[in-house]
Amino acid sequence: MKHVIIGAGVAGITAAKTIKELDRNAEVVVIGDELFLPYKRYLLSEFLCNSIRRKELFFFPMSMLKELGIRLRNGTWVKAIDPSKKEIKLFHNEVVHYDKLLIATGGSPGLGLVLQPYKKYIHFYYSLYDTLVLKEKLPEIRKCVVFGDGVSCLDLICMLRNLGKQVTYITKGERATFALDEYNFEGELHEFLEEKGIEIITADQIVSIEESDHGYKVESIQQTMLTADIVFAWDYYKPNISCIEGSAIEKKLGILVNVKLETSQKDIYAAGDCVEIYHPGIKDYWINFGLPNALEQGKIAGKNMLGQHEEYKIQEAIVFNLMGQSLKARWWK
Amino acid sequence: MKYSEITIRFCGIAGDGIVASGKILAGACAKIGLHVMVNNIYSAEIRGLGKSSATIRFSTSKLYSMGDGLDLLVGMVSKESIIDLRDVKERGNVIYDTSTIGDVVEEDSLVSHITPEIQGHGLPITKLANEASGTNQGKNLVAIGAICYFYSLPPEMFVDQIKGLFTRKGERVVEINIKAFRLGYEYFKENYPLNNQFEIDKRSKPRKLTSGNDAIAKGAIDCGLKFFAGYPITPATKIMEIAAKELPKLGGWTLQMEDEIAAIGAVLGAWFAGKRAMTATSGPGLSLMSEMINLSVMAEIPTVIVNVQRGGPSTGLPTKVEQGDLNIALYGGAGDSPRVVMAPTDTEECYSGIQLAFDIAEKYQTPVIFLSDLFLGQRTETVTIKENIDRDRCTRKKPTSEQLKNFLRYQITDDGVSPLIVPGEPGAVYSTTGLEHSAKGNPNYESDVHSMMTAKRFRKFDSMVADLPTADILGDETAEIGIAGWGSTIGSILEGMEIAKKQGVKTKLIKSIMIHPQHEDSFRKFFDSCKKIIIPEMNYQGQYAALLKSRYGIKPIEIHIPAVNPVSPLKIAQKIMETNSELSQ
Repeated sequence: MKHVIIGAGVAGITAAKTIKELDRNAEVVVIGDELFLPYKRYLLSEFLCNSIRRKELFFFPMSMLKELGIRLRNGTWVKAIDPSKKEIKLFHNEVVHYDKLLIATGGSPGLGLVLQPYKKYIHFYYSLYDTLVLKEKLPEIRKCVVFGDGVSCLDLICMLRNLGKQVTYITKGERATFALDEYNFEGELHEFLEEKGIEIITADQIVSIEESDHGYKVESIQQTMLTADIVFAWDYYKPNISCIEGSAIEKKLGILVNVKLETSQKDIYAAGDCVEIYHPGIKDYWINFGLPNALEQGKIAGKNMLGQHEEYKIQEAIVFNLMGQSLKARWWK
Repeated sequence: MKYSEITIRFCGIAGDGIVASGKILAGACAKIGLHVMVNNIYSAEIRGLGKSSATIRFSTSKLYSMGDGLDLLVGMVSKESIIDLRDVKERGNVIYDTSTIGDVVEEDSLVSHITPEIQGHGLPITKLANEASGTNQGKNLVAIGAICYFYSLPPEMFVDQIKGLFTRKGERVVEINIKAFRLGYEYFKENYPLNNQFEIDKRSKPRKLTSGNDAIAKGAIDCGLKFFAGYPITPATKIMEIAAKELPKLGGWTLQMEDEIAAIGAVLGAWFAGKRAMTATSGPGLSLMSEMINLSVMAEIPTVIVNVQRGGPSTGLPTKVEQGDLNIALYGGAGDSPRVVMAPTDTEECYSGIQLAFDIAEKYQTPVIFLSDLFLGQRTETVTIKENIDRDRCTRKKPTSEQLKNFLRYQITDDGVSPLIVPGEPGAVYSTTGLEHSAKGNPNYESDVHSMMTAKRFRKFDSMVADLPTADILGDETAEIGIAGWGSTIGSILEGMEIAKKQGVKTKLIKSIMIHPQHEDSFRKFFDSCKKIIIPEMNYQGQYAALLKSRYGIKPIEIHIPAVNPVSPLKIAQKIMETNSELSQ
């Protein structure tokens, strides 16, 4: 039986490992859009600060991948799924058959209409590739402007400041809170960051970015003019589900799944940041975002793809791992 | 990553501009002052859409071979490029077309065969080419643009190359190709910004590209080639093409004959008439020429035959390299039929060596078989050739006025060389024949005459040794492992020795353009100083090893590679390491 997994992140690779551990004869193909072995995204900042070596980023070495018999196809992505033929089409028009399919494409930061025209001036800090590019640029960077929300944004500004960069953080909120929950620092985080030398501009947002002779000119809605060597910005974080377009797989913001992580289409499962699960408490679908959830869902999806009937227990909070510390967040937009 | 050496292969089908890709990339790199070597491989079929590839290796230091493995494979076509993936180094890269039309099944998809050890980079080659030209033309330039960004090479050098290559096709063609180049460059800049740094020494001066076939043709013309006759055959045809273009400008002639037998016949005729002449062929042609080579031996008419070896026997592998013609070159003739056999080891030697071949042929009135091979003949590389132009040179032993009065065409002499005139010289009768003959040149079948004349023909080979270059000894003279090689394999041997050296293993190499005759003393001395001798060559039988074994009584470790591609330096290094382990035990 051929198990195809779209996405080589935590959920995807955990599912692949689970399948192979339970059934050595199963054929497992993992399709990932990045150029690298599956890695721990939450350690990117540590890698950037040279606290860890590159090889420590990876979940496991190439040899283990071979040992497990998982076929990793990286650097490619899926543009269409045809559940009726049990086929997926990759972006270069290659058609791949599957018996069971798992969609574990995760989520990624995105830009709204205002920032979209300035995309080419904005540096994303999400993937290992982004990090490697940033690492090359770092020695020449002095001033950084960061606009965005969420724990990954906190991670970024802390990392930049730790590296001795001048950081200006712009947030739409009244304070820099990063949607953290049950965290001692929450009430004091804004001041804490300012004490550390991070300039925080609140109730504002970037409206234009211009390239200048020595970097970029950034203008905010409050008409604040800033200069920067690099600009990081994102408006939202959303599930990557473009591959299901036109496939009849039900979706809202993410792919809708039941507690067995089955989608609306037979033999197609979904797990990780790209899915929404019905939450009986709030009577709506929601995304169980973060590393521990992705791990858990990956395991369950893997088992269920082999015919088991394990159910995912809805998590009440979204858990992040920030620089090795487990943090809980309330929600994400 | 930082690189000081890169190997890139373009893989596609006819019409993808594969050879042009190699030319542009190699031309740009040579202009920057890098050392470059290019090897084109194409299908043997003339008709149809066969697969072709161009491999380009460039470096900040001198190159001797195509090396091992690819840093980058550009798969212009999917299915046909799959096999080339095995040559991509670990952590190497692949660029593939993401805009192919129509569905591709998994088995036929290049991308599906890319393992995680290799990084695949999608590039909409066809789409961007269409954007530039409105057709599929310019696909290769899209890929070259991407490569230029990927290795941080200076784009202006590529634009110059494009202009140089396409200007004769009109301004629009130039514009289209530059646009395609820029689109590929920008696509990679935007989508794969993390590029590599190729270390370029800005003080380097532009280098000139040439091939072994070019060098042979030029060397021959520069030393007085007046007449070329041949019959087209891969991979030797280029020599005839150059002769056809250049000789008429200098008052010479090139004739395409009906076959190889006629070609060598015409060449013998030209030499008989006192003109420096040459033919160029490959294995099947050399087989056909055997009888006429014997005529050259018996009638003592000088001849120069270039044999650009390819895979055999028979029609064999017309577009693949092999060193399988040594035995026919040495022994391919009826009777006791001595001939000079030379084998250049690099492009520089193709130039200087062919001039030596003419001088020897003329002076010693003997056929000289000049054994190049497909890899040496067709590869393009940056070399510095020391030009030696003397188109009136003549090494013929002329008779004294006394000798002329009673001219003996086959006069017995100490060195075996008889004075030679051009037929029609006043006062002398030039009589010659393929039959055994007397000193006068009249047929004679007496036993003592035959013995005397055979000895004379062989004596020339003892005499000529003084005119021949001595063998080169390279590497560490104190090494216990010695290597003997010939022809283009020498490049791979040198790089294999370098790999071994980095592992702490010392080796030395003996190489000579002369296969027969040789400066035997230098070979004996070399072999005596080695505890182990390795002889790698591109044929199944070990033809050179057999010659050296019979000549010097050595017991070498032989590496026989019936080649299709040039020998891997790594393979040679591995054998050196194994041999070293055996010696240490």
